[in-house]
Amino acid sequence: MNGPIIRISRRFDAPAERVFDAWLDTDMIGRFLFGPHLRDEQIVSLTNEPRVGGRFSYKVTRQSAEIDHTGTYREIDRPRRLVFTWGVDEEQGDASVVTIEITPHGDACELVLTHAMHSDWAEYAERTQQGWTKIVGDLAKAL
Amino acid sequence: MLSAALDDTMLALSDSTRRAILQRLAAGEARVTELAAPFAMALNAVSKHIRVLERAALVKRRKAGREHFLSLNPAPLNQAADWIEHQRNLWNDRLDALERALAEHDD
Repeated sequence: MNGPIIRISRRFDAPAERVFDAWLDTDMIGRFLFGPHLRDEQIVSLTNEPRVGGRFSYKVTRQSAEIDHTGTYREIDRPRRLVFTWGVDEEQGDASVVTIEITPHGDACELVLTHAMHSDWAEYAERTQQGWTKIVGDLAKAL
Repeated sequence: MLSAALDDTMLALSDSTRRAILQRLAAGEARVTELAAPFAMALNAVSKHIRVLERAALVKRRKAGREHFLSLNPAPLNQAADWIEHQRNLWNDRLDALERALAEHDD
């Protein structure tokens, strides 16, 4: 692993296609990725070009500061796999990578979200068997 | 979202020698020569690793006469752990919200 990685799996009582489409549909994005129901923020605009190489821009205001979440779609394989870069504001635009993997189970599905944070760290990093989160967490606990 | 300080912390932790140095310093203050002893590398190479750790504020240096003593500053580690935890919570909240949004659409 090249940097801290967050991995979360979740089962949804909805077909894989519906769960997949939610990640590309700006109406749905305004209901789960961003918005006042999630945290103290207001949505300014949500725009995306859902094709490989297409960009997205999700603008919100938090405490009157405007924050633009931007990225590029790297893989779009409905309904199983979606990969996009993820960053805040332009200069960090492509700093981290989010991978959504969905396994259909009849009318339900299993989603695994992986957020490989800050790929800039990759060039410094050596390969390690341990997860980054674990390394940092263990050190913080031990010290 | 991501500060330069956090960058320095992650860079510092990305090397096994530097992690071993931090583990050693967790046991208490040490001289540079003591830190270098377990490693099959030149003192100069160890000093370079220590400078990376100092830049990340993970290691503090105290001079007593001609001797340099190094000690650990765990604060940046806690900040990094907190930041990762914050990101994890945020994605969890988003998946909760997705679950609700999908259920509402069903109605």
